[in-house]
Amino acid sequence: MPLFGELFLSDIIRKPVFDPKGEITGRVKDIIVVKGDPLPKVSALIIERGKQLFRVTWEQINLFNKRIISTYLPASLLEPYAISEDDLLAVRDILDKQIVDANGAKVVRANDIKLEGYDDDAVLIAVDVGIRGILRRLGIERGSEGFFKLFQTRMPYNMISWNYLQPLKPKLQSITLTVPRQMVSELHPADIADIISKVSREEGTHLFKDLDIETAAEALSELKPQMQADIINAMDAEKAADIIEEMPPDEAADVLSDLPTEKAQEILEHIEKEDAEDIQELLGHEEDTAGGLMTNEFIAYSPETTVRETIERFKKDAEEIESGYYIYVLDEQEKLIGVTSLRDLLLAEAGARLSEIMETKLKTVPPDADEMTAAKIISKYNLLALPVVDSEGFLLGIVAIDDIIDRILPPSAKRKRRKV
Amino acid sequence: MKLRERIFLFLAVMGPGIITANIDNDASGITTYSVAGARFGYALLWTLIPTTVALVVIQEMVARMGVITGKGLADLIRENYGVKTTFYLMLGLLIANIGTTVANFAGWAASMEIIGVSKYIMVPLGAVSIWMLVTKGSYRFIERILLFACLIYFGYVISGIMAKPEWITVFKSTVTPQIKWDPEYVVMSIAIIGTTITPWMQFYLQSSIAEKGIKKENYKASRLDVIIGCSITDIISFFVIVTCGALLFPSGIRINEASEAAVALKPFAGDYASLLFALSLANASLLGAIIVPLATAYYICEAMGWEAGVNKTFKEAPQFMWIYTLTVALAAIVILIPGAPLVFLMVLSSVINGLLLPFVLIFALMLVNNKSLMGEYVNPKSYNYISWGTIIVIIGLTAFLLITTIIPAATGG
Repeated sequence: MPLFGELFLSDIIRKPVFDPKGEITGRVKDIIVVKGDPLPKVSALIIERGKQLFRVTWEQINLFNKRIISTYLPASLLEPYAISEDDLLAVRDILDKQIVDANGAKVVRANDIKLEGYDDDAVLIAVDVGIRGILRRLGIERGSEGFFKLFQTRMPYNMISWNYLQPLKPKLQSITLTVPRQMVSELHPADIADIISKVSREEGTHLFKDLDIETAAEALSELKPQMQADIINAMDAEKAADIIEEMPPDEAADVLSDLPTEKAQEILEHIEKEDAEDIQELLGHEEDTAGGLMTNEFIAYSPETTVRETIERFKKDAEEIESGYYIYVLDEQEKLIGVTSLRDLLLAEAGARLSEIMETKLKTVPPDADEMTAAKIISKYNLLALPVVDSEGFLLGIVAIDDIIDRILPPSAKRKRRKV
Repeated sequence: MKLRERIFLFLAVMGPGIITANIDNDASGITTYSVAGARFGYALLWTLIPTTVALVVIQEMVARMGVITGKGLADLIRENYGVKTTFYLMLGLLIANIGTTVANFAGWAASMEIIGVSKYIMVPLGAVSIWMLVTKGSYRFIERILLFACLIYFGYVISGIMAKPEWITVFKSTVTPQIKWDPEYVVMSIAIIGTTITPWMQFYLQSSIAEKGIKKENYKASRLDVIIGCSITDIISFFVIVTCGALLFPSGIRINEASEAAVALKPFAGDYASLLFALSLANASLLGAIIVPLATAYYICEAMGWEAGVNKTFKEAPQFMWIYTLTVALAAIVILIPGAPLVFLMVLSSVINGLLLPFVLIFALMLVNNKSLMGEYVNPKSYNYISWGTIIVIIGLTAFLLITTIIPAATGG
């Protein structure tokens, strides 16, 4: 495989290309890009020797990386090339071009292009639109990192995944995004996860470090377990704890369970006591059971609470909770005796008590029920969340429908992800 | 097309050319003309004719690029010559333009002090009002204000007439070139060209035409806009030189600043002429202080590919608005700091401008001849001889001026 890992277009432009005898056949001037599945790929290099141009197809390339580029062909057998308007050339047609969003507003320019090895090809994976791209082209990216370190900050990585760009044609004047601009600066965490899962592990970790805690927590939830573990493992415990704390306890427990025990313990020590206890409780359950899937954040009030009070309290309590579609009703011993949906609550008389409106025919699962059992109950009764109750009737937690769906149908980011 | 339609069309298209050319007579421009008039009388008037021709030749090409490509000059340079070239060019222009903005605020402060208002009141007030104008106004509104401000330049015409020059001598000097091998004379004549043809105005003109969205069909009206603008500019310069030449030169009064000219005029031409001169300087300075930071914001955003334009809000074009805001703020603050090295900053800025001008002009000429950008609107062959000739002469003169600026500065003279 000619390209293993990743490199930037600016790394290879003006680099010498060696022939089998070790002689320089010319220098890289441009690359020809063709449509590929799923991403555009390099079909040939254009090499400049003196004033002449030659084309070396991808199949004729032996080594292709940051340090060395070589071809199987002797210098004398190179195929001459004449610049054609019909070819899509990365430097001529993409680099430095304006990127506009779906509404035509200018976003930024294509400062650099990132290539990555995929099967036997080099594919164009992302456009670098950030300050790093510019500094790299100026040849001072490394030097600037030191400068930024002086101020205790890091330069952000700012890439736009090729998935968000409209198909490229030769002779284009600008590159159009498939999304409005706001979305690029404030990408949905699921999309960020999508991008992270496509770049290499090291890049992904970097990308991740620059996100704010809240976004990071959400994006982390969308990633595949192994990737989650890799990223958290690469962080220092304190930062990791901040992110884990933001996550719903069930997902936090999932992430921690994939970590080496020592690291998990270290992170738990940095988490607030209350949250840490919740997580630890969940860690006790097998991963593919209702207990392992459930979260212990839910809303529960006593049967005497009136509808009016319930709504008032709900407004405050539900803020921090991931799944708040049901209000559970617990007796004095904290045993589950009923449930009411938000809809029924809003439709009920304000003065009524929960005990009067609650549903008492409860659908529950024990913590050791496997995930398919839980899924079937949720599906059969069209529930948004399923309470997990132990043998004595205590409410331990709830399994939310989105957690179950994630188990049965992994999110797209998890499916598409591949390791480099 | 009927005459009335033509006039209407011109009124719709006019603006960028006239504004750009007029603002060319900013504080440093007026200073140069005043000093030239006081030192050499009418002897340098003839340089205005070749300067006008050169200005028209260059501005016309730049305006044509703006109309045909719909993009700014910095856009085109980045897309065709890559990030390295663009980056250093922009860095240079940023520094030079901060210097130019400082010069304009200095002109504003000086003219206000003549009227008797403290600069500690007027500089912040001026900075805030021009900031509000651009950040809160629309392009149409700003253009109208600027066009109106261009009318105030006619204050110089009036003070020129009030100076009662001998018109026959004046016209003779205008059409007969006089060459003196006096170093000061040569430097002064080059300075007139240098202050008239600047790098930033090429960027500003093309961007404002692109932002106005003038169509190919209306290009002829846009060309007229440029020609009228360039002519007015040099008519104003003419009257500034005439005023100082008629009143200060015969008495041998030497000045170094435009504001000194306003003060020196008082005993000869009376309070009104002096006040008019000072107010016109204030107007020119303030206009320069609007446009130069605006041009800076335009080309940096174009080069980086960020959204730009006075029609946009802070949210739509944050970088553009911030660059404008910070340039204005920085320049205003420098003026208010006692003992800030103003002269050094201005010399530095004119040296950088001089260094950049050749590059900007050569890029512009290469781009305007690029068939894939301009199609049938590339320069005709004969026009290319004129434009290359003009540019080579300007580059030669600027190089000469640079050397004479740097050598005395370096040797402490």
